Amino acid sequence: MSAFLRHPRLHLVLRLLLGGFFAYASLDKIANPAAFARIVYQWQIAGPVASNLAAVTLPWVELVAGVLLIAGAWKREAALVIALLLVVFLGAAGSVLARGIDVLNCGCTSVARTEAPSSWPPAWTRGVGWFLLTRNLLLLGGALVLVAVEPGREEEEGGPATAPASV
Amino acid sequence: MSVDWKRFTFLLVAAGGAGLAWNALSGRGFAIGQSVLVEAGDELLKAPAAKTLLDRGALFLDARPRDFWRMSRIPGALSLPEEEYETTFGELETRIRRASAVVVYCGGYGCEASHSVARKLRERGIPAGILDEGLPAWEDAALPLDREPRS
Repeated sequence: MSAFLRHPRLHLVLRLLLGGFFAYASLDKIANPAAFARIVYQWQIAGPVASNLAAVTLPWVELVAGVLLIAGAWKREAALVIALLLVVFLGAAGSVLARGIDVLNCGCTSVARTEAPSSWPPAWTRGVGWFLLTRNLLLLGGALVLVAVEPGREEEEGGPATAPASV
Repeated sequence: MSVDWKRFTFLLVAAGGAGLAWNALSGRGFAIGQSVLVEAGDELLKAPAAKTLLDRGALFLDARPRDFWRMSRIPGALSLPEEEYETTFGELETRIRRASAVVVYCGGYGCEASHSVARKLRERGIPAGILDEGLPAWEDAALPLDREPRS
């Protein structure tokens, strides 16, 4: 298990997956900050002004951390930022579910307010519910691996060893 | 290898600063100090000011879905749900037009229904205030609620 978690290709996949997801998720929110603020209001967590600040800043945190992960720079710090975001999102989603608030679009990747029933992604993936909790828990697990586990070198993990340069 | 906390802090501050700058300079931003639901012409009333109007005989309109109104409401409030506006307004029009003042409310700062109903009333020449942050603000101010179930 330890060798699996240290495998450099696992780390590469996790970086691309998490970085790609969060960078993509930020774009619509950055393009439409007021629409995203409306969605944050529906979570009823922190009042309008704090929600406005979250709506303006969080997508940029997602974008910068996501791009850094994809680029392979400041990997551990970027993964920790994403892990913290996911902990906040999970706590907020749990609070929404516990209070029985019906949030039809979580604002996770899109700020669209009304979409046709047949539109993609399907409605059950857009609201605050068990799909969101499960997905975020899986993403959090991936982020924590990047934060806590030092990746091994490729040749140590059974990958292609680098041949010494011949002269 | 451990987390470099300077990098971590810089990442958060730089990204947050970029968000604030984008909001201020991109032309897509909005005023952070107030709700994005507020538009020009909206008249927001804090709960104590709304209570003063209630005491002076103002008519309160509950823009939430009717089932919520049935469970509890500001004393004397009539139900005018946003989604039933077109069918319900006609039934209430006489009472609304006779009122000395009209205040619309809904379920909180994330609820747009009170803004929507107040604007529709304005379009019909009826000035209407909006209870700022809705029924939760009214309850937080320990103002009275009618909890008698209605059918």
